[in-house]
Amino acid sequence: MIQNFISMNGYGLFVWLSFAITFLACGIVYYKTYKTLKKYEKDFAKELSQLSEVERKLVLKKSKVASQFLASYNKSI
Amino acid sequence: MFDLINPSRIFYWIEKLIKFINSIFFVLLIIALTFALILSPPDYLQGDSVRIMYVHVPSAWIGLASFTVIALLSILSFIFKIKNLNLITKSIAPIGLLFTCLAIITGSLWGQPTWGTWWAWDARITSMLVLSIFYILFILAHKLIEKEDKAIKVSNLIAVIGLINIPVIRYSVDWWNTLHQPSSIKIDGTSSIHSSMLMPLMLMLLVLLLYCALILLMKYKTEIIRIKKKNIKRI
Repeated sequence: MIQNFISMNGYGLFVWLSFAITFLACGIVYYKTYKTLKKYEKDFAKELSQLSEVERKLVLKKSKVASQFLASYNKSI
Repeated sequence: MFDLINPSRIFYWIEKLIKFINSIFFVLLIIALTFALILSPPDYLQGDSVRIMYVHVPSAWIGLASFTVIALLSILSFIFKIKNLNLITKSIAPIGLLFTCLAIITGSLWGQPTWGTWWAWDARITSMLVLSIFYILFILAHKLIEKEDKAIKVSNLIAVIGLINIPVIRYSVDWWNTLHQPSSIKIDGTSSIHSSMLMPLMLMLLVLLLYCALILLMKYKTEIIRIKKKNIKRI
């Protein structure tokens, strides 16, 4: 039964290769996207932390995204 | 209406949505794969090779739908001058390219056992190849043109020109004699596919759409952070 499932009545190579290529490509894209996002998050947090207290307060006051980002980033680390 | 996609409004929700999709994704993936590889019956003519359909067809649909969305958003962005729409189109393009390439590759893997050839210059396959070229041009316009305004104009133009190819792909099997079979699933309800095959197909489509949403949200978030990082100095 398992051998039948793997061989797919002679079409196993084509079927398994199709699924493997699809999920491998999706996995690689996910990994690259995740890594890039984390890199940008880290760089942005670093840049915010390098600002003086007054500058940071001004940035966080003016940019809602920056304040939301910093809140979620601090929670995640 | 466009204020709804304003980064400051949706940034919080992006994080929530990413977490939600991550939490349900693997359960749905396992269910969809069980149906696609085990529970669905083999085709009376194509045998088990028909299972390739469960990755090939959703990939092709996503490739087509992504480009249509990119082109429509490009037109809206051109009319209403909303920069945020360009961030979205820029985030969708790699996803569309991925799935168009997957549709071509899995189609080739399906073609060998059923038609006896890996490739044929038939209307459907060739027009899908043209679609992938439009995706590459769109992405390259953003990567190679340094001035952002110019990159947006060029990529929007590529998207609008590429939109002509979408009905060509859709109706190629009706307009020309092609090796590719005509559509089995139609929106008007006259589908010729049995429910035992339609269900796994829809499940796989759902899983791949969730994956697209996940990638889109992560890419969109990256773009927002990139722009905010650039603007820190200005503030």
